[in-house]
Amino acid sequence: MKWLINQIRKEEWSPYAAGILLGIVGILTVVLSQNLLGASGGFENLAAYIGKAIDPKNMYFNYVMPAAITFPVVLLVGVFFGGMLGALSSGTFKFRSMDDEQWKQTIGKQPWKRWLLLFIGAIILEYAAGIAGGCTSGLAISGGMLLVPAAFLFIVGMFASGIVTALIVYGKKY
Amino acid sequence: MNYVIAIVLGVFFGFSLNKAGLTKYNKIVNVFRLNDMAVLKFMMTALVVAMIGLYGLRGLGLVAFPAVPTTYVVGNIVGGLIFGVGMALAGY
Repeated sequence: MKWLINQIRKEEWSPYAAGILLGIVGILTVVLSQNLLGASGGFENLAAYIGKAIDPKNMYFNYVMPAAITFPVVLLVGVFFGGMLGALSSGTFKFRSMDDEQWKQTIGKQPWKRWLLLFIGAIILEYAAGIAGGCTSGLAISGGMLLVPAAFLFIVGMFASGIVTALIVYGKKY
Repeated sequence: MNYVIAIVLGVFFGFSLNKAGLTKYNKIVNVFRLNDMAVLKFMMTALVVAMIGLYGLRGLGLVAFPAVPTTYVVGNIVGGLIFGVGMALAGY
């Protein structure tokens, strides 16, 4: 029992252990709710409220991603608290300005640079998730575990351009 | 009821992401710099566990698969290519 508590308190688990936990959560999602894990879809459902207010006849926000409190939206709420619980359990919970040691060393110390690039990066992420039909969790992991070809095409594309982008951002420090 | 399930599943989902370190910028970017493969180890372990579990359960007739993400080759690849740019920039 004490061993278990100590394991849970660790800041970082072996990726294999955390992967097994996620795999079980993935199975339970299908078994219990007939849904798939996903993150980007929930944001699109929420964005649809704004999208429909601006353009009520928009096809995408009416049919593809309707404005509603869907399963992924509620899942996102849980993810927020789950991440918080993880940080609290290891005692690393704190408010921070998105700083990261590695980022400071390579790109610069100014927080606004981080926020700007993060904002642009996030727009690109969500836009691309809309095109591909899912993000890392919704398509790559949830699709992959059902052996959907789309998931593996997506992973190939993601790594190809991710490596090139990291090469450009990091330059000589790659 | 479905919402309760969603919240609980979400909590475990977020917990596992946090414990794997995927909430950190450097973990995500270093997988693209090819010097820390934790993200891949995490993702692939989850995939293997869930694949075995789900296909096993379906083989036993205990579960029916929900609507799977559709495959449209060009869209998936182009989406993935743009997604990678955002992921390496934002690191989340």
